[in-house]
Amino acid sequence: MNTVMSNWQVIKRLLVLMRPWYGWMLLGTLLSLITILANISLMALSGWFIATMAMAGISGASVNYFTPAAGIRAFAIARTASRYGERLVTHEATFRLLATLRTWFYEHLEPLAPAILQNYRSGDLLSRIRADIDALENFYLRILAPLLVAAITSLVILLFLLQYSVLLALIELVFLMIAGIMVPLLINKLAHHASTRQVETTSELRSAVIDSTQGMSELLIYGAAEKQAERVNALSDQLLDDQKHLAKLNGGSASALGLCANLSMWLMLIVTIPMVTTGKLAPANLPMIALFALASFEAILPLPLAFQTLPGTLAAARRLFDIVDTKPAIIEPVTPTAMPEQFDIEIDNVSLRYPNSHTNALNAISLNIPQGTHLAIVGPSGSGKSTLINALLRFWPVESGEIKLGDINIDQFSGEELRLQFAVATQQSTLFNSTIKRNLLLAKRDASDEELEQVCKLAQIHEFIETLPEGYETWIGEAGHKLSGGQIRRLGVARALLKPASVLILDEPGEGLDSVTEQKMIQAIVDSAKGRTLILITHHLVGLENMDQIVRLEQGHIVKR
Amino acid sequence: MSKMTDSAIPAFLKAQKPLAGNYLRLSVGLGLLSGLLLIAQAWSFASIINAVIFDDAKLGDVTLYLAALLAIFLLRAALNWASEQAAVTAAMRVKRDLRQRLHQRLFDAGPLLLNNERSGELVNTLVDGVDALENYYARYLPVMSLVALVPLSILVFIFPIDWISGLILLVTAPLIPFFMIMIGKGTERLNKKQWRKLARMSAHFLDMIQGLTTLKLFNASRREADVIARISDDYRRSTMSVLRVAFLSSLLLEFLSTVSIAMVAVLVGFRLMYGELDFFYGFFALLLAPEFYLPLRNMGTHYHARLEAIGAAEKMVEILEPGTLQLEDGVDPLVKVQASVSDGGQSELSAAQSPTRYTPEAIVTARSIGIAFDQVSFDYEPGRTALKNISLDIKPNEQIAIVGSSGAGKSTLMNLLLGFITPQTGEIQINQTPLETQQLDFWRKQIAWMPQKAHLFHGSIRDNICLGQDDASQHAMEAAAEAAQIADYIESLPDAYDTHVGERGAGLSGGQIQRIALARAFLKDAPVMLLDEPTAHLDDESERMIRQSLKRLVENRTVISIAHRLNTVEQADRIVLLDAGEIVAIGKHDELLATQPLYKEMVSRFREGAI
Repeated sequence: MNTVMSNWQVIKRLLVLMRPWYGWMLLGTLLSLITILANISLMALSGWFIATMAMAGISGASVNYFTPAAGIRAFAIARTASRYGERLVTHEATFRLLATLRTWFYEHLEPLAPAILQNYRSGDLLSRIRADIDALENFYLRILAPLLVAAITSLVILLFLLQYSVLLALIELVFLMIAGIMVPLLINKLAHHASTRQVETTSELRSAVIDSTQGMSELLIYGAAEKQAERVNALSDQLLDDQKHLAKLNGGSASALGLCANLSMWLMLIVTIPMVTTGKLAPANLPMIALFALASFEAILPLPLAFQTLPGTLAAARRLFDIVDTKPAIIEPVTPTAMPEQFDIEIDNVSLRYPNSHTNALNAISLNIPQGTHLAIVGPSGSGKSTLINALLRFWPVESGEIKLGDINIDQFSGEELRLQFAVATQQSTLFNSTIKRNLLLAKRDASDEELEQVCKLAQIHEFIETLPEGYETWIGEAGHKLSGGQIRRLGVARALLKPASVLILDEPGEGLDSVTEQKMIQAIVDSAKGRTLILITHHLVGLENMDQIVRLEQGHIVKR
Repeated sequence: MSKMTDSAIPAFLKAQKPLAGNYLRLSVGLGLLSGLLLIAQAWSFASIINAVIFDDAKLGDVTLYLAALLAIFLLRAALNWASEQAAVTAAMRVKRDLRQRLHQRLFDAGPLLLNNERSGELVNTLVDGVDALENYYARYLPVMSLVALVPLSILVFIFPIDWISGLILLVTAPLIPFFMIMIGKGTERLNKKQWRKLARMSAHFLDMIQGLTTLKLFNASRREADVIARISDDYRRSTMSVLRVAFLSSLLLEFLSTVSIAMVAVLVGFRLMYGELDFFYGFFALLLAPEFYLPLRNMGTHYHARLEAIGAAEKMVEILEPGTLQLEDGVDPLVKVQASVSDGGQSELSAAQSPTRYTPEAIVTARSIGIAFDQVSFDYEPGRTALKNISLDIKPNEQIAIVGSSGAGKSTLMNLLLGFITPQTGEIQINQTPLETQQLDFWRKQIAWMPQKAHLFHGSIRDNICLGQDDASQHAMEAAAEAAQIADYIESLPDAYDTHVGERGAGLSGGQIQRIALARAFLKDAPVMLLDEPTAHLDDESERMIRQSLKRLVENRTVISIAHRLNTVEQADRIVLLDAGEIVAIGKHDELLATQPLYKEMVSRFREGAI
């Protein structure tokens, strides 16, 4: 769909996103620059200082030792202070950026739900979104700032050496290039295969371990546990091999960097010693230049990591931009019509087809649901029941035909206004990591405790909640009490019942209940919904005798009323 | 949340060191050697500079030193690299072994411990958690060993030639770890809290993305953008207040090492001017001063590797320590839940008590198997009885249906039969032989099982049907698929039986997944069939097809099936009615209908709905 963005385009867009925090970032970079330059100066000046002092000691000449000694102390303190400041500022910048990125991404994601996001249903992808945003944190901290600092520092270093000899600057330039750019790029190239495979093997290992945990019963009963252990161990070994290979390369890169610093210093000795002999260079400058050369490589120390992180970071950014650039499936009307007084639903010849699908999910469906009607929709899974709900809520655009609410095409309402009229509990309804009460209050923020209990009784979940030590204040979800699928469904039903909407839509509210309890629940809900439009979706025929209308859907067609 | 003391996890991490073999020691040895060469390097370097400045040496006069210097450079690069290799190898060995043990431990604990939420956590521990230990073994531990050795060797050389510089180094060096630990202890706790906060923030973000549709249904989705901004900002504020303190340790480290180098330089300079010191020795000391602090700095850099490892290991200790992995209901699996015969330790005891009973073959003398429950009780925790005094005699080739409302104990009964739990009192007998832990593998060979939602594994459809029977012939597999009424569908796929099945059977419908699992059961052809309402979540058409196939599968087998819905129990030889963990009645459909009001109510409710 999207044309692939070039790396430069991605970087440019990232830079634009970071614009609000340029001030912080520049300050962080500046402090980082001071830190490194202070250290190089400290080492070089120290070398020059002790050589000068030693020569003065021998010749008995007087020297101005006050300035260089103070300089040494000043550089030491500058390095310490700027290092502390740098860490604070760069982290501040990163956290600010992170906050911006999360909100930015969420704001672009929100209009895509649920139509577009259906393509991204797997939880795997959702956690990847999280990892992708985390990866973008690196962009400034690990890539942008070190590259900038390395470039500026190198320039300063080269200018300094140029005043003594072009040859010295050339040696420095060559080794800085080798250590800072060529070696990292070479290593990346050599590591490419292993690091791609590492990603694949990790995900294979993850799948295998998921199989171990979720399929353990089958593995034990079918006597395949041992073979599964072998498979997991083999994948683990393969992963470890690749990791070791990569570690070997990275270790090589670190050693090469140290060697480059040493070799450049060594070559400079070869160049500068004859210069001292011929009097072209003051003797005290010899240790200064040598120590300067050694210390200068600190500037490119973070570059291998920067090159290593760059492709992954750009890929993460690209994935996020892909989602952000996706156009919502629904376009909101520019001037929405006001809600009507009554809510008869009229579905007229509606067809709907999902992208990448050969068949219509809904096929010329026509259905009248006058306000207050109790309608049951039955049919096997995949027959179009959920699609019908998506169309009613305008989560998906219809391909042909129209849906009217109170005689007005729903396309003319604003999405929020439209959804205000519907209370829905579907299989996709989720509960949030929060208390039971707060999850319920999502439907009606000012509901009283009595109202909450009332809907929970209707949904056959009140008794269960009462057994929990903290009752309605029980924390649920990953960090709290674990609920069964049926309990989650029933809380979703209770939440929908709480919402003061004119149309109530419940999808398999009794899932997970035995037939006796399910029957009881549906009866109670039907009784309580007198006067409200109720659409009940089910694939069992339990408790449908009191419905006004029963419709059977099959493969997107209404086959029976 | 954690029940462990703070020292338990570091102790656990240290206890894994022997797994690395000699590689850790090798790494430290090579690192030390490189450190010693460093001193020789400084010596040569200082000699060259000294000779050129003070002895008017020309390039030709110092070639020997220059050559030595070059050789040392190359040698040290090689040594550093080799030391790193050894350290990485050590880490890999630890990781390999740990992952293997963790995986084994899961199977020892058994499937009842692994509900869905927890399984996600376990997968993370096994995959990412183990990887997170790498830097601890490959970096932190070697650095910790070198942190004393290299600076000490440097001191040994510096002291005799320049005791003042030596003293500066000696006094400042211990201050660095001392202050780091002082500050570290405080920030470690704060750090942990921050990490938890970060995890919570990430979880919240994920939670919102996953629930976006729901939020939208309740018109709450736009509101959440502000919530995200607010939470992120709160997080930034609180993290920065922690970091301001945490970074103090690096400030101190930087301050002590940098200022000491400056002091060495200035003091050396003045003594040189007063002629109290030779330039060679002064320069030598100045060269070694930064190297003296390098290992200490490395320790600071790799200190977070320790924190990271401790975070990751917390979960591992929980899994690996006996008695810490618990059933949701609070049962200690090592005492009461048995899953695998490989668990040798405690089964020896019961074997010793009844040595004559250990004869797996005694279970099956014929292909027909009878099962008896003799006064079997099971509690998930004291006071929460799941099954009470169950006595039930199931004859060979009998078809038994177990009915009862939610929570009556049907699933517990099934788990006992599958050997995922063992009775606390009473025993289960297979063909008059008590079922014991040692015989579980053998017993499981006799059973096939169909759960409500069968699991399909990553791999081909063939792998999935032939689970545990790698040597099954193509013909046998096709026949099994045929019997499960899934052969036509599989053959319609481009890759037929080699079609890859994705995450949780992605691409297949619930009915197709269940039919593949059914083919698996057909292929196994076991004398006992255990059914846990395999059509509970299916549409009518799929249910009809599976029922049809099952009719063939249950012929001439002992069958025990759980029925949540009552449309299938009528053909059972006997129906067992459970209520609150006890058998209320056993009988044929008509008998129960006549005598048991509970059963009658269940049936009539079901009938009403089913019309």
